[in-house]
Amino acid sequence: MNLNILIAGVGGQGNLFASSILAEYFINQGHEVLAVETIGAAQRGGSVVSHLRISDDEIYSPLIPAGKVDIILGFETLEMLRNFQMLAADGRYLLNDYQEPTVLCNMEMDTYPTDESIAAALKKSGKKGYLIKATECAREIGDSLLTNVVMVGALCQLSPLLNRQEVKQVLAGKSPVKVREPNLKAFDAGGALVKSAMGQP
Amino acid sequence: MAKKEYLMGNEAMGRGAVEKGVKVVAGYPGTPASEVLEYAAKYADVRVEWCINEKVALEIALGASLCHTRAMAVMKHNGTNVALDFLMHLNYTGVRGGLVLISGDDPGGNSSQNEEDSRIITHLDAHLPVFDPWCPQEAKDMVRAAFELSEKTELCFIVRPVMRVCHARSQVSLEEITGNGKEPFFTDDRSRFIMSAVKEPEAGGVLRPVIRHRWLNKKQPELLQIMEDSPFNHVEKGEGNIGLVACGIGYAYVREAEKILGKKFPVLKLGTLPLPGDKVAGFAHRMNKLVVYEDSEPIVEGMLKELFYDRDIKVEIVGRSGFLPMEGELSTGIVLKSLAALYPELEKSVPRTAPLEMKIPVRTRTQCVGCAYRGLLHALKLMARKTHGVVTGDIGCYDAGSFLPLELQSTIYCMGSSIPMATGVAYSGTKQPVFSIIGDSTFFHNGVLGLINAIHNAVDMVAIVCDNRTTAMTGFQPHPGSDTDITGRPAVAIDIAKLATAAGATSARTVNPYNIAEVAGALEKAAKEKGVSVIIASSPCYLLGRRNGDIGFTPRKVSLNPDLCNGCKICIEYFGCPAIHFSNKKATIDQAACVECGMCVAVCQRGAIT
Repeated sequence: MNLNILIAGVGGQGNLFASSILAEYFINQGHEVLAVETIGAAQRGGSVVSHLRISDDEIYSPLIPAGKVDIILGFETLEMLRNFQMLAADGRYLLNDYQEPTVLCNMEMDTYPTDESIAAALKKSGKKGYLIKATECAREIGDSLLTNVVMVGALCQLSPLLNRQEVKQVLAGKSPVKVREPNLKAFDAGGALVKSAMGQP
Repeated sequence: MAKKEYLMGNEAMGRGAVEKGVKVVAGYPGTPASEVLEYAAKYADVRVEWCINEKVALEIALGASLCHTRAMAVMKHNGTNVALDFLMHLNYTGVRGGLVLISGDDPGGNSSQNEEDSRIITHLDAHLPVFDPWCPQEAKDMVRAAFELSEKTELCFIVRPVMRVCHARSQVSLEEITGNGKEPFFTDDRSRFIMSAVKEPEAGGVLRPVIRHRWLNKKQPELLQIMEDSPFNHVEKGEGNIGLVACGIGYAYVREAEKILGKKFPVLKLGTLPLPGDKVAGFAHRMNKLVVYEDSEPIVEGMLKELFYDRDIKVEIVGRSGFLPMEGELSTGIVLKSLAALYPELEKSVPRTAPLEMKIPVRTRTQCVGCAYRGLLHALKLMARKTHGVVTGDIGCYDAGSFLPLELQSTIYCMGSSIPMATGVAYSGTKQPVFSIIGDSTFFHNGVLGLINAIHNAVDMVAIVCDNRTTAMTGFQPHPGSDTDITGRPAVAIDIAKLATAAGATSARTVNPYNIAEVAGALEKAAKEKGVSVIIASSPCYLLGRRNGDIGFTPRKVSLNPDLCNGCKICIEYFGCPAIHFSNKKATIDQAACVECGMCVAVCQRGAIT
């Protein structure tokens, strides 16, 4: 098996936790795992990209080569778009419908792409994927910080390479007691979002 | 089977040192290397310290080593520059207990002011052995080997991981924790440890620096043999007679490219400096061309050219001197492109990528919402505009004030350069007033010397120290102004205002940066004074404070009355809080992003924000 997952978001969205749950799951399954975060000064509103590589053979580059990403998880719209060209020809995306404006966009010094232009560009790319309201769902559960777990839950629904129950066990084990229940709830909710998105024409 | 743990490269190096019985680990925080030291701090019997700067860290490490204790210094490449003066002496004296220097490089400058290659100063300049790992496991193995070899050769060993190795995470084998079995004890050997231009009677009056230099040179053949036998260098057979020389992280990208192309090329995997000359020559003899993949300067490429000239080996050598990009980070993509240039039939196997057909706005760095420095930067920008002043900057969170929308600081170079550069501006003859702005950790690191120099010479300037009581930029490490150390033990907190006063600053005012009027008042007074006036803008880092329940303001909900907003943009161009948005000629407040610091109330001159 070879699987390359790229998680694109902004500082504070919990990329690392999402990546670590998936890594632990695949290690438990006996696979090789190699991951890396591009962090920079992420706490100050910067982009954060996690590369997660899973294989049965030795993996060499910690960064996924351009054009070899199987699934891109977009925690934030712009950051997914920025990394979209990393996708393989048959790569898929799972995008959280959440936009964190850049400082310069906020100030009218730059323009955040419109929903229409994003939809048109994605359509033109010919890549398959789903747009889900993960942050909105996380807020409904109680905290937008649960977005990462909603997205992991959604990924487990999307990809047959992940066993939902076993990922959930890893999540439960890695969650501090205080947030275990909300995390598990968010995980299930993420799965439900993809299920309903897949049901649509 | 050995126990394995999912570790980051930095943690793996920390673990490697602990396994080899390191007892002293000293460093200064900096991406990409910070977590090496933080990992070692988990072990109670290791003395771990965030030092005032990297030179001090290396000096501490050698002090321990001279007592036969294994020690390690950890820093990023910029820090190795700071430690270079000491490094250029300890290379002559050698070490006793194993001494390892970790110098984390950042090719591409992802999180640094430059993208220098620290193999140059550590190997070509200091003539010390360097290990260049390709993955976390090898990084750990290299740290382990470095401790052993350091004691064997009496030389400091350098491990130079690049950021992608530091930050990569994978399953790493854990081994037993051992030591060198030596009791710490210092014995004199003045002919080594007194570095001075003294004539050695026993050597017929030859000066000691020459003798010690000779000692270092005589170590080189021993190092060559070690590298010849090293497990970190090997040859892989493959098709064709173009040899790929894969150095450090370059090996990861070369193997990855082979996997993608479904090809096996002849590969010489190198992880050491000096180079294993015989192994290299044996590989080169069968090739008519070598391509050297290394991050980021053509160091190995140059060394190969020298080696082949001496050995009269005729083979074309290309690499980062122009065949490959001369700047930026190496990648699998670069390796693939170069292979497609050498073997045009491979072009079709290179993965295609197509960016989306749209303009994607860049995400620039700024202060966090709620950061106290935003109030300070606002007041300083107003002052600089009014007085046509020049603001010299330094390294830290506040440096984002130099980017859009504020564009306040006019210079940023390296740690501590703000105050001396302001001094130079003042000496230039310009009539513009000068302000320098530097953070607390950076002030201790190297800024304090510039301040003392300026005070001593009665330079007319305002020196502002941003004191958020932590090294926030690199992940909240303590510094000499903190009252606890990395392990939480109490530490003596150095008071910056008292220090400036004791040094003879004209004034040293401590202000609350959340209080813009207070900062503005202090700046007014300071700008009128003769000599060096110091302003310490002191309030806890908001991110850290939120975590510890110690934020520097009383939260207050703010609202913006659009009828009073005249679209002057002072809240944007002179403040720039990400929670304030601007559209249709009016400012608005994003309540979801606002953390209720309330600073913007004082920023708006129309009273629109209340």
